[in-house]
Amino acid sequence: MDHTSTLEKLIRGVLITLVVIFFMFPIVWIFLMSFQTNESILRIPPSVVFTPTVENYVALVTGQMKTAAGSLQLNFMQNLWNSVLLSSASVVIALILGVPAAYAFARFKFRLGEDIAFTLLSFRFAPPLLVLLPLSLYFKTLGLTNTYVGLIWVYQLICLPLILWIVRGYFEDLSPDIEHAHRIAGYSWFQTFRKISIPLALPGIAAAGLLAFIFAWNNFVFALVLASADKQPVTVGALAFVTASGIQYGQIAAAIIFSIVPTFVLAMFAQRYLVEGLSLGAVKG
Amino acid sequence: MAELVLNAVDKIYRTKKKAVHAVKDFNLTVKSGEIVALLGSSGCGKTSTLRMIAGFEDVSNGTITLGGKPIHALPPSQRGVAMAFEAYSLYPPLTIGDNIAFALKAAKMPAAEQQARVKAMAEMLEIDGILNKYPSSVSGGQQQRASLGRALVRQAGLYLLDEPMGQLEPQLRAVLRGRIKHYLREHTCTTILVTHDQTEANALADRIAVMEGGVLQQFASPAELKARPANLFTGTFIGEPPMNIFDATVESNAKTVTFHVDGGTVLSYPASEFSAALLKQLVQNPKVTLGIRPYALHAGKGPITGKVVSCQWLGDQTHVAIEVGGRTVVSVAHERIREKPGSDLSLSVASGDLHIFNRDSQSAMAHGGILA
Amino acid sequence: MSQLSLRSLSKSFGTFTVFDKLDLDAETGEIVVIFGGSGTGKTILLRLIAGVEEPTAGTISIAGEDAADIAPEHRGVGMAFQNFALFPHMSAAENIASPLRAMHATEDKVAAGVAKAAKLLKIDHVLGHAPRELSNGQKQRTALARALAAEPRILLLDDPLRNVDAKLRFEMRLELPRLLRQSGATVLYVTQDYKEAMALADRIAVLAGGKFVQIATPEDIYLRPATLGVARLFGDPSINTLDTAIATDGASVNVAGKPLSIARDYKAHAGKPVTFGVRPEAVSLATSGMTAEVMAVTPLNERVVLLLTAEGGWELLASLPSTAKVPEPGSTVHLAFAAEGTHLFDKATGERLHG
Repeated sequence: MDHTSTLEKLIRGVLITLVVIFFMFPIVWIFLMSFQTNESILRIPPSVVFTPTVENYVALVTGQMKTAAGSLQLNFMQNLWNSVLLSSASVVIALILGVPAAYAFARFKFRLGEDIAFTLLSFRFAPPLLVLLPLSLYFKTLGLTNTYVGLIWVYQLICLPLILWIVRGYFEDLSPDIEHAHRIAGYSWFQTFRKISIPLALPGIAAAGLLAFIFAWNNFVFALVLASADKQPVTVGALAFVTASGIQYGQIAAAIIFSIVPTFVLAMFAQRYLVEGLSLGAVKG
Repeated sequence: MAELVLNAVDKIYRTKKKAVHAVKDFNLTVKSGEIVALLGSSGCGKTSTLRMIAGFEDVSNGTITLGGKPIHALPPSQRGVAMAFEAYSLYPPLTIGDNIAFALKAAKMPAAEQQARVKAMAEMLEIDGILNKYPSSVSGGQQQRASLGRALVRQAGLYLLDEPMGQLEPQLRAVLRGRIKHYLREHTCTTILVTHDQTEANALADRIAVMEGGVLQQFASPAELKARPANLFTGTFIGEPPMNIFDATVESNAKTVTFHVDGGTVLSYPASEFSAALLKQLVQNPKVTLGIRPYALHAGKGPITGKVVSCQWLGDQTHVAIEVGGRTVVSVAHERIREKPGSDLSLSVASGDLHIFNRDSQSAMAHGGILA
Repeated sequence: MSQLSLRSLSKSFGTFTVFDKLDLDAETGEIVVIFGGSGTGKTILLRLIAGVEEPTAGTISIAGEDAADIAPEHRGVGMAFQNFALFPHMSAAENIASPLRAMHATEDKVAAGVAKAAKLLKIDHVLGHAPRELSNGQKQRTALARALAAEPRILLLDDPLRNVDAKLRFEMRLELPRLLRQSGATVLYVTQDYKEAMALADRIAVLAGGKFVQIATPEDIYLRPATLGVARLFGDPSINTLDTAIATDGASVNVAGKPLSIARDYKAHAGKPVTFGVRPEAVSLATSGMTAEVMAVTPLNERVVLLLTAEGGWELLASLPSTAKVPEPGSTVHLAFAAEGTHLFDKATGERLHG
């Protein structure tokens, strides 16, 4: 029937509130922590009433961290820049390689095609450490350890399968008749790919790109093993806050807020595409 | 077997933003054993009406009675109604045979009788060869026939058939229409058939309820609908190919009635072929819309002249289209006609085949020279 | 030399053969309808000709030239798809313009070409709309305009009226022949509606079981079907059939134990098991002859179809003009069969016997 009772509405409201609190609480708490000193964070019982301070942010930006045991050098801003560089470069390269490959897997049946596609996906199942041990040896020999190139290369293990499999689905949902119509209208294969296939799969490509960016951004273990301080992203750099004189919760919180910002901005920007993309994929053209 | 009465039924769908009046003040009496078709294009309210009768939808206003008993407040299972769904809705884990026998089993009918009934039904619908198969492994047409069989095999006060033959194989359609009509008659099944296909409605129904915009336009036998459409909508909706429509101005005197058709054609008839009452009306309302069915236009000598656009023979009929005053007029004949595209052709129409509609209200004024 | 010719054209996917060794010639300006049920490979055939799919064997020649190595964009082919296949991110005008732009036509020529095609198909008023803003009828007309815009030598129409409503389908059926003739192209038109096939075709190629069963004019197909299968596909209601045998005199068949004389002489086939076929419109009511009970009366447009059970339980349909006197259900009538719609088919091969 098409009407809901007041009780139903009430229960629904309560449940939604619970879910929102559950998911939002950590973020709100971190946000509050980033404006507190370590002392006020660690006070018992905890309280939401405190005198806000920006000293955590100042410490991150200036690279001077004052602890009880004295002053420490930080290169958080370098870490942040590394994250931005590594993630965006990895996604761009994965898109350049992955989108045409996804198209090939979607449109053409070739020998071992399915096996290759599956092998690429299987990189996602393997525990990263399994890959890392031999890789770190190779990288040492090749001189790729602690280089951006080396890291971006390894990041393809994260980005490429994601982009390949998501975008492939979008290409498969495009009616081949539309491409055929464009060919018959007098355009070459490549023109059709550029003018028809790519624009029509764009929402999917945007969604896949964003997801790949988030996964790359959040990666920890690859950079931990294969990079040293000056090439490390924020995820690894955050370890520096665990100091001899204790864990700097305030600065960790500020660092987290800083590191959320790029992905957040990107997600906001791509949201339009994401929603459109996720719903477009469900409807067969 | 029972009479179904819908009395002043309304269906209003309310959302936060607006209310949609899907069915408006709908009155319908289906006699016991009668086959009635609800005919209309999508969104006309026929499906809402069917769902209210079946009990899948509440009535917003009005009452529905079956055999004198109000049923509109009962849950679907207690209404004594059998239904064939447009989407087949067969039970996937059961074979076609078990699907058909489902209601019989539930009614605890002896196994032998169940089998006999299912077999007879399956033979009628030509699915006796697939009774042991599962719905997913047979074609859409076969699933539709199974769904129809499952509804018809039951004992019910009322049979609801929702687009029951849309997916049927074209070669089977005509025979199955005949067999199903025969079956429904034989078992005096009170039946409501919902369809957008007038061919199906015409073939099966005793009476057709034509719906548009949630409103019942006309409720009459197929022959009556064709001969005496109540308004321009039913006139153009019923009939294949559709009626030719002309705007015309009437001029009449004691001897002749003349229709000046927009585009230049002039149709003249002796005044004696029109009833006196109609002549009076035509004087008062000289601006009319003329409807002429394609079968009423005969090739040969006549006042409607133009160039042949196409002449298409379909085996048992010929469709001729001519261009008259910038528009296309269609004539259909049972015989084979050979006309070259581009050649001149004249068409005639008898006064008895004219449908005259009021141009403003679009309701029928006259059919064949007699007031509607 | 024909504009389009297919020689032993075969297509299979793995072990599944779609069709095998098709031969067809189509002249300049001719409309050939490819008719067949769903899954017979009609669309695949068009794709092969368009060049977007490759044949397993055989050749396609366009204007005498083997098309095997010609890419789809260079074949001079226009195509309209069943699902319209409009470019969703371009306006109707840009859709129609796309083949002209591909030829690097000047802006003036593009504009003129779009305007001409749009006027012909009466869609001038929606040229600025995106495909999703168009009704199905307008989509279909836009797709046709796009196919016609570059004035192709060969026009491939894949069931273009399938997804439009009945009224529009009827109007387009009357309009299309003129439109197609004006284009001057050789037209291959795919449909599964026999009425459309008969109305539009110069010749119909009936595709069934991976073969062209008959390639002939609509008249030949309807009046002289090559096989029982073809006879069944054309006509609504479908042809009535009865399995029987030709009597020894070659002039009658056995129906329910009684001889039914047939108009033609089949002496050469005397005694042969046959399928007796009679079109419903060839069955008429008579004052004497075979008796039958009227089971149901179902009007069909301007005709009335009777479901009859004749002697011996033979179930058949009769289609009478509605001007005829129609008997009540339950009554008994006598039947006569007109020679023109009566055929005998070899029971073993399904082929029509020539009397």
